[in-house]
Amino acid sequence: MTEQALAGRVRDHVRGFLRDLHEQGLRVPVARQRVFLRAIEAVGPRDATHLYWIGASTLTTSREDLEVYSPTFERWFGELPVRTVPDQELPGEESPAPGGKGDEAPSAAVFGGAAGLAAGSGERESRPVFGPASEDERAVLALLRRELPGAIPAVRSRRRRPGRRGHWIDVARVCRESWRTHGEIVTLRRRHRPRRRRRVLLLIDVSGSMKQHSAGYLRFAHAAVACLDRVEVFTFGTRLTRVTGPLRAREVDVAVGSLSEVVLDAEGGTRIGGALQEFLGNARYVTMARGALVIVLSDGLERGDCEPMRAAVRRLSLLGHRLLWWTPLACDPAYRPVTRGMAAVLGDVDAIAGVRDLRTAYGQVQTLARE
Amino acid sequence: MPADQETLGRRLGEEGYLADEGLLTAVHLAGVLGLPLLLEGEPGVGKTEVANVLARVLGRELIRLQCYEGLDASQALYEWDYPKQLLSLRAAEVEGRGVGDLYREEFLLQRPLLRALRAASGAVLLIDEIDRADSEFEAFLLEFLGDFQITVPELGTIRAQSVPFVVLTSNRTRELHDALKRRCLYHWIPFPDAEREQAILQAQAPGLDARSAARLVAAVHRIRGLALLKRPGIAESASWARGVQALAGEGAGWPEAMRRAAGLLVKHEEDLALVRQHAAEVFGD
Repeated sequence: MTEQALAGRVRDHVRGFLRDLHEQGLRVPVARQRVFLRAIEAVGPRDATHLYWIGASTLTTSREDLEVYSPTFERWFGELPVRTVPDQELPGEESPAPGGKGDEAPSAAVFGGAAGLAAGSGERESRPVFGPASEDERAVLALLRRELPGAIPAVRSRRRRPGRRGHWIDVARVCRESWRTHGEIVTLRRRHRPRRRRRVLLLIDVSGSMKQHSAGYLRFAHAAVACLDRVEVFTFGTRLTRVTGPLRAREVDVAVGSLSEVVLDAEGGTRIGGALQEFLGNARYVTMARGALVIVLSDGLERGDCEPMRAAVRRLSLLGHRLLWWTPLACDPAYRPVTRGMAAVLGDVDAIAGVRDLRTAYGQVQTLARE
Repeated sequence: MPADQETLGRRLGEEGYLADEGLLTAVHLAGVLGLPLLLEGEPGVGKTEVANVLARVLGRELIRLQCYEGLDASQALYEWDYPKQLLSLRAAEVEGRGVGDLYREEFLLQRPLLRALRAASGAVLLIDEIDRADSEFEAFLLEFLGDFQITVPELGTIRAQSVPFVVLTSNRTRELHDALKRRCLYHWIPFPDAEREQAILQAQAPGLDARSAARLVAAVHRIRGLALLKRPGIAESASWARGVQALAGEGAGWPEAMRRAAGLLVKHEEDLALVRQHAAEVFGD
């Protein structure tokens, strides 16, 4: 009887632990919870440490999950057995998405309230408003959507497709077709490696000095996202923001307008080197630059030390296929890249071009297409 | 599968793989529950090595599928041997006999996944760097990992005779699908603590005494603390240890040997420059 009572209490305890995990934001599907229970039954945990690791391998599916799992485990089963998450933040890890983590909820509830609201409204006032596109701009955008795909450099895909000419005989197809003619081969079918457009990476400067150009640049990015399949867009001022998702909205004004809620550092200061280093510090982002056509839209006016910017641009240029630097300053024929920042990166940039609005961007796209 | 976790740990240790308790539990559970094991971690922490060593410990065949962009079913699963079919068709014609079924066993080319299912005494299947394959391939893996079966239209559904031990590795260059993760046990392999890394170095570089190993490990940990483009993994630190040992054997002083062999540890020019800048604090005592 007592044993039964004990078993019941253990069961309730485990159930409570699982429910608490859910409340803390680690949503474990029922199927995986069952795997956890089956695991306990199968191996019989020796001690809390063992139970901790059983839970870790069955209930979590990423390293971020551990950050919810560990404290919850500690609350329900006593002190944590080991150091679980490396103490230092790894380079190449995304910083946690706001609102994406359950364990942030309680702290937000504690510290939220009036202070949080005040901070929110303070920021809102200074937010940029990206106005609607003019008729002329819309016409250029339509042109861009049509011509941009042809301007992106291409490579041969790794995946072979049937085609009329090509190096490889498509043995599978030839044989299948020959069944119809009693094993007689009538025509040879071939496979080729089709051309595939390179990735495109746009890094857009939205700092104060670029204020009058930012909206045009973002519209250009919208056209790129609409007509290319592998493109990523980031904005930077004092920090780095990935805006590919918001730009996927179909209507250009809706997409660009929604960015004023996302790009919180617009029309502020510049920290080009820092922002690019942040980009390169994330392994997942680095993959986006690999072999890509990288276009930086910025005036390159870096404050303070230019060394981080130089190092970051050098690495970007090594990672990508080509690195283009589009700056409004170069629209002036008398422009020479002599500012400290631009002079430092000159050797690593493949081309510097003058782009101040959609028209000039379209001109550059045409140049790209001719190359 | 060794009966319990201690035995498993000991057997892995005998093969030169020193796993911590977290990894041991995950591997043990994967064996007991018959679930695939998804390992993530920085490059060079020994993800792939787990499968290699497991194959030796379990006495099973290691079947490896290296993922890459554009990997598809005909390279991962099976393909029909078309030229052979054609030849047998012609031969049958010449000899004036019937051809029979063209889609039978003898014309089937087995690729890694199918081979793993059909291995009589089970196999260790390593699906390496799954993040390099495209997401279509992940979707394709779901049936395989969920039920350990594969459907070949011409032959019907093939089930595993004995469940293979599946190890998937990922370097996290992209996020994997939830559906895939749900079917696997998950373990993140961190960099080892100093004590364990010292033991690993001593196992990997025979003849290295404890004091030297401790000194090397301390240097490696200090280097990992610098803001590097790529932090050295265990594989790098082990080859560095062997390099330093070789140079020291030729008569070079220790800090000198450590400095000269640094190229084995750090593989970017910028990182090397950074390490050189901090040489005194990193390599000194």
